[in-house]
Amino acid sequence: MKNLTVMIGLALAASSAVAQAGEAMNDLEIAHTAYTAGQLDIRYAHLALAVSENDAVRDFAQTMIRDHTAVNDAAGALITELNVTPQDNDLSQALVRGAADKRGELAGLSGKAFDCAYATNELGYHQVVNKTVAENFIPAVTVEPLKALLEEALVTFKQHEGHAEVMVEGLQCS
Amino acid sequence: MFVRKQTRRQFGTLLGATLVVFPAPRNARADHANMIHSVDIKAFKYEPETLEIAVGDSVEWTNHDVAPHTATSTVFDWETNTLEKGMSQFVTFETPGTHEYFCAFHPHMKARVIVTTPG
Repeated sequence: MKNLTVMIGLALAASSAVAQAGEAMNDLEIAHTAYTAGQLDIRYAHLALAVSENDAVRDFAQTMIRDHTAVNDAAGALITELNVTPQDNDLSQALVRGAADKRGELAGLSGKAFDCAYATNELGYHQVVNKTVAENFIPAVTVEPLKALLEEALVTFKQHEGHAEVMVEGLQCS
Repeated sequence: MFVRKQTRRQFGTLLGATLVVFPAPRNARADHANMIHSVDIKAFKYEPETLEIAVGDSVEWTNHDVAPHTATSTVFDWETNTLEKGMSQFVTFETPGTHEYFCAFHPHMKARVIVTTPG
């Protein structure tokens, strides 16, 4: 598999969590990280549904659960078809740690403070993930079906980024 | 209700073996006097965004995206079920006029069906 040098600033929303992953990633590691990123966003969304009473925030969260579940289901089906096992890696672990910290921060908020923090995090998260998928993952992946799935997923994730922008603007957080 | 809707599965159940000679449409095709027209959902867009049909015709939406979508009337008098990737469902239009619709999950996705009375 083709190696990839990934230099990703994982700006996990408003947090200062930044991971620099300068190690080579193979297809199985990329698959793991992409899947993990989706799962983490689903967890953020469940938290939003538990805390927020804002319709726009709740609608967005439900969309995240629905769409990321669909993408990850497709990834799971591809993994089964290819009979491979995604590989955990430093970047996936950094994502998980950063998301745990962020969830802890969000869990201490309520009302508009929560809505703004969640929305801002979603915008930043999608911006970073989309840039990483577009500029690092897709060019590096060597297995064609995985590349196709990442390209298809990116179409969805870009929609989420646009949706998050609208949500942030609508909340008038600043 | 001016529309009726059927999934491909429901359609097959109703018509039984007729489904074999009435395969999934890719373009408008004859169904007795009426037609079934196709709308593809790709990259979060309905293609075509504007579709003109005759009263009694049907529109079949097929989702090609990994994300699920719907076609939902803006006045909520008809909608498809949730369309996962590869799923199709059609709705028959029996009332003339412009029927605006959107995706209930991604409301920025908008399109319309214009239903005209022939002659």
